[in-house]
Amino acid sequence: MTRAALRRLGQALGTAAGGAILTFALLVAAPGDPARRVLSARGVQDPTPTAVAQVRAELGVDQPLPLRFWDWLTDLTRGDLGVSWRTGRPVTTELVDRLPATAILAVSALGLAVVLSLALGLLAAARPGGWPDHVARVLSTAVLVVPGFLLGVVVLDVLVVRAGLGRVIADGTWSTAFLPALVLSLGAAASWSRVLRAGLLEARGAAHLRVSRARGAGPARRLVVHELPNALPPYLTLIGLGSAALLGGAPIVETVFTWPGVGRYTVEAITGRDMPVVTGFTLLAVLLYVVVSLALDLLAAALDPRLRARVAA
Amino acid sequence: MSVLPAMLRPTPAGSPQPVAVIGVWPRLLARWDARIGLGLLAALVLVAVLGPLLTVDPNVPDYTDKVAPPGGGHLLGTDGAGRDLLARTVAGTRTSLGAALLVAALSALIGLFVGVVAGVLGGWVDAVLSRLTDVLLGLPGLVLTLAVVGLLGPGFGNLVLAMTLAGWAGLARLARVHARTALTRPDVLAARMAGVGELRIAVGHVLPAAAAQVLVLATLGVGEVVLALAGLSFLGLGAQPPTAEWGVMLAAARDTLAFAPWQLIGPGLGLVATVLAATLPSEALRDVTDPGTRA
Repeated sequence: MTRAALRRLGQALGTAAGGAILTFALLVAAPGDPARRVLSARGVQDPTPTAVAQVRAELGVDQPLPLRFWDWLTDLTRGDLGVSWRTGRPVTTELVDRLPATAILAVSALGLAVVLSLALGLLAAARPGGWPDHVARVLSTAVLVVPGFLLGVVVLDVLVVRAGLGRVIADGTWSTAFLPALVLSLGAAASWSRVLRAGLLEARGAAHLRVSRARGAGPARRLVVHELPNALPPYLTLIGLGSAALLGGAPIVETVFTWPGVGRYTVEAITGRDMPVVTGFTLLAVLLYVVVSLALDLLAAALDPRLRARVAA
Repeated sequence: MSVLPAMLRPTPAGSPQPVAVIGVWPRLLARWDARIGLGLLAALVLVAVLGPLLTVDPNVPDYTDKVAPPGGGHLLGTDGAGRDLLARTVAGTRTSLGAALLVAALSALIGLFVGVVAGVLGGWVDAVLSRLTDVLLGLPGLVLTLAVVGLLGPGFGNLVLAMTLAGWAGLARLARVHARTALTRPDVLAARMAGVGELRIAVGHVLPAAAAQVLVLATLGVGEVVLALAGLSFLGLGAQPPTAEWGVMLAAARDTLAFAPWQLIGPGLGLVATVLAATLPSEALRDVTDPGTRA
């Protein structure tokens, strides 16, 4: 188990390092002179060559590439993501300011998605082919097919503007999080419930369930006590991957609901060609993804001894 | 809403089972959901190919007839610049389907090339390429797409390129697995003993085996590619106004939503229909080829 966990940890570190190299490459390949961008952000319209050279030295972009990478990496370990090309402020500060709003949205969406998918998956698997199963299938297909931003626009118009529920301008607090979180969570809830249903049905085929049935365990007990634990590992892995996908979906939902989080800020940064902010967001998402999927793989291995060999592979 | 195209998702551990490409059509067509999806897809392709010939010019504004309601001369009304929404929706079909197919085809080409090269050559080439695909698969696809769009700048061509760069890795991993399996097949051994060159074995025996699988997986992801293209265009990161593209049209419709909600109908229905047309057959295909998920 320890060896398997260490190998999985090494794999996670490798992915994180690969992500960092990729991000640095994007930053270096970005068009435009960082020094000029920072100067114009500070209000200097026509900088003199000496001023440009000075800022270039200040940012370290006049150094050879390997040295720049090293500086960037050491800055990174200290939590320094560089300077925004639009505002001249540190990217870390800009992102940290907006992180609580995105965290509130993501946590609410994750919670909603887990509750919804558990309910839908268990209902559908309780009696496969019955009407709850069909309703769950139609619902999840509908949700997967309707794009989140379209749903968001309609929800905002119908529920908020016309029916007067909630506020048009979300302020990034818990009280306004429900609608955007719901829109963000629906797709994940739909696909997770399908995987849970398949896992539950697969677990039902196991021989020990006939034993527990013979001993008089009712369908509800068999479903929750015997089938659910066996269906959990793939479901948990999916939640891990999905939580990072939620962060990827945040830009869209945050823009629709004018949610003051990192996602909307990143969209603005892309439009404004503010590369350090874009790469900062990328690194944040990558690190989160790597850490969460590592944690969930280890958790799944702890839950199911059969997976230990696979975690190591 | 699903924001992560299936082909961008990391494949679960273990080697994938080859999809039985031959003999799958009768079983697929026996399912009503696959028939509906394929019929819808055929209709959409027809609209994309022939539609623009039958409608008015989607880009000609009529400033005397702005934000007209549906009916009269304009079946779906007009947008904020007085352009016919039916014509723009029809033109959007061509844009979305074309771009999604382009992303799928380019990802399949790159993935196939990288996967087959890694699988056939082995050794350090395989090690380098496999680590690269592992890293790409370890990153969330949409984040990667956003990062590349950030580098290249907003634009539809750049978005297509970004989605391709973010999407080929899963296909490469699949191609590599099937290439390696194909290398051990009796016909490959026989060809090698008969003195056929390695290049010819790679192109003639290994490539076709991997290509079938890669094409199937790439096709399965088209619906989600359509969604991502429209979503990012909606944010202003893909197609730019005045392009007749559904995401762009929906973003414009949002501004007039309070008094002209019908502007959502055309692009909204188009998008939902396209994703449905791509999703239904691919889910049915998954069901008939993968006994593990069969109900």
